[in-house]
Amino acid sequence: MIESRTFREAFFRNRLAVLGLIGVVLIALTGILAPILREYPSGYGSELYNQPSAKYPLGSDSMGLDIFAEVIWGSRSSFYISLMAVAVASLIGIPAGLISGYYKGWIGEVIDGTVDIFLTLPTLPLMIIIAAVMGPSITNVAIVIGLLAWPSLARITRNATLKISEMQFIEAARSLGINSKAILFKHIFLNIAGPVLVNLTLVMATAVLAESGLSFLGLGDPTTWSWGTILKKAWDAGAIIDTPNPWWWWLSPSLFITLYVVCFNMLGTGINDTLNPKNRED
Amino acid sequence: MPGLLEFNNYSMGFLNDEGQVINMMDNVSFAVQEGRAVGIVGESGCGKSMTTLSIMRLLPNNAVVQGGVINFQGTNLLALSQESMEEIRGKDIAMIFQEPMTSLNPVLSIGFQIGETLQRHQPALSKAEIKEKVIEQLRMVGIPNPEKRYSQFPHQFSGGMRQRVMIAMATICHPKILIADEPTTALDVTIQAQVLDLMSKLKVNGSLMLITHNLGIVVEICDDVVVMYAGRVVESGSMVEIFDHPTHPYTRGLFAAIPTLTHNQDELYTIPGSVPVSTKFLPGCRFAPRCTQAMEHCYTQVPPERELSPSHLVNCWLEFEQRGEG
Repeated sequence: MIESRTFREAFFRNRLAVLGLIGVVLIALTGILAPILREYPSGYGSELYNQPSAKYPLGSDSMGLDIFAEVIWGSRSSFYISLMAVAVASLIGIPAGLISGYYKGWIGEVIDGTVDIFLTLPTLPLMIIIAAVMGPSITNVAIVIGLLAWPSLARITRNATLKISEMQFIEAARSLGINSKAILFKHIFLNIAGPVLVNLTLVMATAVLAESGLSFLGLGDPTTWSWGTILKKAWDAGAIIDTPNPWWWWLSPSLFITLYVVCFNMLGTGINDTLNPKNRED
Repeated sequence: MPGLLEFNNYSMGFLNDEGQVINMMDNVSFAVQEGRAVGIVGESGCGKSMTTLSIMRLLPNNAVVQGGVINFQGTNLLALSQESMEEIRGKDIAMIFQEPMTSLNPVLSIGFQIGETLQRHQPALSKAEIKEKVIEQLRMVGIPNPEKRYSQFPHQFSGGMRQRVMIAMATICHPKILIADEPTTALDVTIQAQVLDLMSKLKVNGSLMLITHNLGIVVEICDDVVVMYAGRVVESGSMVEIFDHPTHPYTRGLFAAIPTLTHNQDELYTIPGSVPVSTKFLPGCRFAPRCTQAMEHCYTQVPPERELSPSHLVNCWLEFEQRGEG
């Protein structure tokens, strides 16, 4: 008889998933522990354009501020933004997808139509306009990103729900008197959790990218450090084309953005692979 | 004779794209008596599965009930609210499906799925009590090593074992009626026999409604038989009556089509043609185009229901001899 591994055991045997998890946890921890790790970078420092050294692990910028501290505080706001964006997107997107996929009829049509309308909206220009109107604050930015990310989440949830709700085990569950709510949020949701979770991690990653983009365009919150803000300041100071080039200034936030996105993708794929009990054997 | 479950002139159909209702089941009446097993027999497309889904009120969205009642213990199931219906499902009426491979949720453990039904209908039970009952139930349906099997997932079970799990799930609340929709079609013959054995063993507690096209299974475990054709009951009665005196040309055709070991047949008998789709139903007898004895008025007039003996009804225009108590 085949012994089945629990989700946890299977997850920790998946090397990529663990690597992704470690990366995500590290970034989250640095964000949460930012006030302990480094002082909030503000004002002016005395040593401009310092190469990475013991005092400045990632160098210093044109105002003499420690880039390491900026990156740490940046991961705090980046993590906050992606969490907020995912919360907004999943609070709207997942129930919308589940309901429209399960109760076809007019309510499904209405939700599906709304999703279609939202999907045709040009995301970036709209984000810029909303961010400009709502004013620069990282919470606003996060909400805007979430509001524009839910339709794709709803679409994925709906498609998966449509497929699962036609399965005989759903009919069997109904024939045993299980009510629609339990069927929807337990029987169906657990079956579609794989693609949905993967999509959520993608939303986390794109939220950080979008925030960086908005900050880079100057629509972020100038009083809060985020990876995008650091890049924006580096760009404004001409750090990208300067000679001698202060490469540490623009390279570190870019690397962190990449790392964050990659880690979340690996985590998402790992969760997807281990969520199916069938994949837990080898 | 009032039964535990009664169909009275029940009709239903499907809404098509033009908004018309195409009749599928027409004036279906039969009863399931307490403690007895009823076999519903007919070809594919005869409305057997629609009969079971009508009882469970799990018809597809485009299905429309056109009339009649389905009484369960004297209450009309069709008039119940969604909530009261959910109370009945699983507790008083439970169902076993045809495909054991797809009838269990792949991401939930067996123990959880069986326990969920129990928890739903007996919320007072503690977690430990539920687990104990589920393991007991698994043992009863013949699953070896139930303590270990409890936390396993459906893909770790074979087809026959999954059907046993389905039976365990459906019978854990001791339903008054167990509906089995072709429960053995997807299983191989040896497993079929075991599953049938199990069902007749569990049937002792209540009634059984068996949907099948396998007449051999009907002989094995049924007390009464309802023969359906194209959404109508063509013949019904006790198993002995129907098997000894099959009367309706369709029933006789079904029996003639069973291969036997005693006669040397070159070619098996078949009823010519196939079941019409519901848009092509005739106004008269729906079997007429395939019937070897069809008369002119068979095509235009609905055949009357006639009693051949107290436990034998037939719907046909042909003349049959009346018999006493069979």
